[in-house]
Amino acid sequence: MIKFDNISKRYADGQEALVDVSFEVSRGELAFITGHSGAGKSTLLKLILAIESPSSGQLIANGINLSRISSKQIALHRRQIGTVFQDHQLLHDRSVFDNVALPLEICGYHPTDAGRRVRAALDKVGLLKKEKSFPAALSGGEQQRVGIARAVVNRPRIILADEPTGNLDPALSREVIEVFEQFQSVGVCLLVASHDASLVERLNCRTLVLDSGRLIADQKPRPDS
Amino acid sequence: MSVSKRSQAAAPKPQVKSRPKPNTRVGRNESFSDLLQIHRRLAKNSGRRLVQTPVSSFITVFVIAVSLLLPALLFSLNSNLTSVLAGFEDSAQVTLYLHAGISDADAKEVSNDLLSLETMNYASYISPAQALDEFGTATGLENLLQEMASNPLPGAIVVTPANVSPTAVDDLVRQLQDLPEVDLVQIDSRWLQRLAAISELVGAIGRVLSLIVILGLFFIVGNTIKLAVENRKAEIRVIKLVGGSDMFAARAFLYTGLFYGLGGGILAIALQGIVLVTFNSSLEALMQLYEGDFQLRGFSLANGLVVVLAGATIGWTAALLTSLRHIRGISP
Repeated sequence: MIKFDNISKRYADGQEALVDVSFEVSRGELAFITGHSGAGKSTLLKLILAIESPSSGQLIANGINLSRISSKQIALHRRQIGTVFQDHQLLHDRSVFDNVALPLEICGYHPTDAGRRVRAALDKVGLLKKEKSFPAALSGGEQQRVGIARAVVNRPRIILADEPTGNLDPALSREVIEVFEQFQSVGVCLLVASHDASLVERLNCRTLVLDSGRLIADQKPRPDS
Repeated sequence: MSVSKRSQAAAPKPQVKSRPKPNTRVGRNESFSDLLQIHRRLAKNSGRRLVQTPVSSFITVFVIAVSLLLPALLFSLNSNLTSVLAGFEDSAQVTLYLHAGISDADAKEVSNDLLSLETMNYASYISPAQALDEFGTATGLENLLQEMASNPLPGAIVVTPANVSPTAVDDLVRQLQDLPEVDLVQIDSRWLQRLAAISELVGAIGRVLSLIVILGLFFIVGNTIKLAVENRKAEIRVIKLVGGSDMFAARAFLYTGLFYGLGGGILAIALQGIVLVTFNSSLEALMQLYEGDFQLRGFSLANGLVVVLAGATIGWTAALLTSLRHIRGISP
């Protein structure tokens, strides 16, 4: 589903964000990316979203070669990916409901159909009662969960998450991960960037470890669990 | 919260097989009523944004209105001139002065011949005696004229051509000049032709000015939309991040442009009304001096519609082009 083939990313200022990274995440797989801040986690996610393009190497996501993608294709490509952003990226002049409905609106869903899906997604993250609130009225953790609902509402094939549990207490973190696991079980490919080492340790998932832009470890889940 | 329990009860579990094919094109699932709903919402949002900044919105609308007003006034002036000309068309008279010594009978025959021509609406013979009578009555010199030994006035035929365009009248004059009985041909409506030429010029200035104004309006609306795009950069970034196309992001600005143009057009009509009413009272005073009966006509419905439609079209198009151009430059 996601295939990095000797990917390097060098920014215009000469900073080497990723160096010769190769890995593959397949359907129904949940993988964590860990590493210190500045290790290249965000760059890696940006490459998959086609926000940045790789300096060298081949990157294939959802069957599309992202090294050669036109600007029109980029929009279509992003519709297949649900993304949870570290800074939430919510629209502050729209209600929670309208924020979560945005991907469906973009894809042209029928309003009744969209309404049902939005409520199902909000229910998954426990925010059904807040659908009429505006993001500014929500706590950081609640905003985070609105972002998660928006990422899953479209039932994407790939879900990317950048520190999705950053603002959540352990109990909420676990429930968010449970939502992710539900999607994993139906064949969605999930890539979660997190520096929450204890969470990653506890979950026993595949873990990609980045250090200064290099992939230094690809830990498979322990067979005993 | 007990997320998992509730989600099992209420939320449909995603299933690979039943998952509908991802809808990748805007508008694919949209029926007409859906589209109407979407557009009503977009329009409402755009309208709300304009009302939220009333002063700057009004300034933009006012500038658009003033720009539209100039060519609109010229066209209105032109159509007034044209209608004046139309009013005089029937009376585009040509007078043929006959040679002395042509008998009344001969002259009448010429007059009848002329009347039978297709190019002629009206022809009437005025005998020298009749002319003298009329002259006497008009000047009050009857007594003096009666003392004269012979009548110095020639016979004349007054004709009204069917086609009153300057070239047709000129052709006719040449034709009439060649008649052996005719001494002199005089067009009584030369000044009408001059007025027609002026009206033509006003129209031409109006057309050139319109082009300049259209270009100017593009810049005005374009600049306003550019600022609006700049203000909503964060929102556009989010839309792009979740897969919205440039066109999807631009939709929000189209109604803004449309409303600016519509508002400008309507205000232009109102301003024109004020200008015409102001002119009309001073014109009336002037006309009273000439005992004339002429009123500046205001906007006809058709003229008004043209101004409003022009404003709306320019506003919408400028918004489309500028917003797309600037949205393209925003990267998430």
